[in-house]
Amino acid sequence: MGDEVVRLDKVRRDYLVGDQITTALDSVDLVIERGEFVAIVGPSGSGKSTMMNLIGCLDRPSAGTVMIAGDATNSLTDNQLTSLRSKAIGFVFQQFQLLPNTTALENVMAPLLYQGISPKQAKKSATDMLVKLGLGERLNFDRNRLSGGQQQRVAIARALVTGPDIVLADEPTGALDSKTGAAVIDLLKELNKEGRTIILITHDLDIAASAPRRVFLRDGLIERDERGAA
Amino acid sequence: MRLLGTASLALNRIWATKIRSLLTMLGVVIGVAAIVALTSIVDGASQGINKSLATLGTNQLNVTSMFPDALSELDARALAELDEVSVMFVQSVNEGTIATGDTRVNARLVGVSSQYFEAVKPDIAIGSYLSSSSYAASAKDVVFGGDAAGDLGLTKDMLGKTVKLNGQDFRLVGILDDQVGFGTSGRVYVTLDAARKLFSQYPYVSSIVVQAKTPEQVDALQFSADALLRERYGLTAEAETRYTITNQANLIAAVGSITDTLGLLLTGIAAISLIVGGIGIMNIMLVSVRERTREIGVRRAIGAKQSNILTQFLIEAIVLSLAGGVIGLILGEIAAFALAIIGDWVFAIRLDTVMLALGFSLLVGVVFGVWPARTAAKLEPIDALRFE
Repeated sequence: MGDEVVRLDKVRRDYLVGDQITTALDSVDLVIERGEFVAIVGPSGSGKSTMMNLIGCLDRPSAGTVMIAGDATNSLTDNQLTSLRSKAIGFVFQQFQLLPNTTALENVMAPLLYQGISPKQAKKSATDMLVKLGLGERLNFDRNRLSGGQQQRVAIARALVTGPDIVLADEPTGALDSKTGAAVIDLLKELNKEGRTIILITHDLDIAASAPRRVFLRDGLIERDERGAA
Repeated sequence: MRLLGTASLALNRIWATKIRSLLTMLGVVIGVAAIVALTSIVDGASQGINKSLATLGTNQLNVTSMFPDALSELDARALAELDEVSVMFVQSVNEGTIATGDTRVNARLVGVSSQYFEAVKPDIAIGSYLSSSSYAASAKDVVFGGDAAGDLGLTKDMLGKTVKLNGQDFRLVGILDDQVGFGTSGRVYVTLDAARKLFSQYPYVSSIVVQAKTPEQVDALQFSADALLRERYGLTAEAETRYTITNQANLIAAVGSITDTLGLLLTGIAAISLIVGGIGIMNIMLVSVRERTREIGVRRAIGAKQSNILTQFLIEAIVLSLAGGVIGLILGEIAAFALAIIGDWVFAIRLDTVMLALGFSLLVGVVFGVWPARTAAKLEPIDALRFE
């Protein structure tokens, strides 16, 4: 057995919509090992958002076990789940989701500060990460003064700065033009080469094709799990 | 995240939405300013009244009458003989005219017995009080109240010169500095003997003031003074008198209780405006939580605990309220300062008022901030992230 960062065992997630139970994921098994670059692909309603929420420690399964970096999320309290999320997951969102009224630097510092790291140390780490991603000139820009591609790079810096086990990117190119989107994908590939585990959630088959492993979801089930070049 | 970091988040947000924050604070600003200004008014007013009353001292009794012939100097002398009395003086207040050169105006010509100045000690601007030699010689000397002196345009170089009271020549020996409380405004003072010469008809005794040796003896003195006067006029203990004995201490206490009640009433009104201000803050905070649902979701996703979110919003409410309190305090003190000038009382920034204002605004922030902050903290991260 390799180093599993994600393990889903017979995971089911039901939602109560009105008075009807909808099953978004049904008995799903999935293992992702450290250092993998996996695309989770599916149309809307396929259950990929639900899977992202479960892997991202934002949600708990209705049945089955979700293990993230060795911890089962089922029985964790809200605080414990937050701690696990803070330690293990770095999120990259479709709409960048930079915090309002804050600079690039403050955005990247935020996860560190929530971990209780001193502002001084957080500032240093955040600056290093932004410099590494080519944003050294824009540390004190707020989101209104950054282009889409720059905002997404700030968001990626924010996801990486805590040194998470998993970078969870939810449609990271969705709000970008294709050229900028491609640059973001290249950045993710590069990060993967450095040994980071990247999980890319997308409905776009072309984007998915850039990942060496692709998990196709349909109607709450895993339809296919492909490896190798698409 | 440390508290300081959370506080700076709150400040950032408040600064980023300056106009809205200011409007949100307005209720608290008005409430606190009202408390501060009203406290100062009540304070100043009771200060003024108490000063007027206390001029004569709290261990004094004032025997007065509306009838010209009700009290005599003999009554005064008899009262002075009472065991409890340390000082006694008599005032005889009459309407008359004062004149110098071509200027002639009406004034109150007050005959006072020799112990008046010593007992009351009104502030003197120029010259001196009526001296014991004035009394010994029954000299026609006069001390002007500041107002009366102003009416005639008297200045320093008029000291020792002649002024006319009811057409008679008097020598000006002093001018008082009229102060709130001394009741010297519009009056001129002469000896009782001189007053008698001015008013052959009735230089009657308007008031007899007796001072007890100690404040504890005031009540006993009141009793014996009343008994003495009843005896002198052949009145039974139940009969109506033509004079009134006023106890300064009782008067001060009565005024005190009125101003206390007034203060309580005004504080109540101010408290209501603070509550309204608090509801304003709560309302805006709830709107803010809703508007920032996505932000809350993102913060949760990147590692904020419920407690971090709670603290962030609570501090924001507290900062809003406290800032409103500080602005209100400053405005209130400015208003109090202006009122003190208008009302001619002493302006002082009282520490308890400052603490009350800041304490109340802090309390308002906490009380009305908790619910919105809890609402924010309780949001499920996935719902918050999905919120459009």
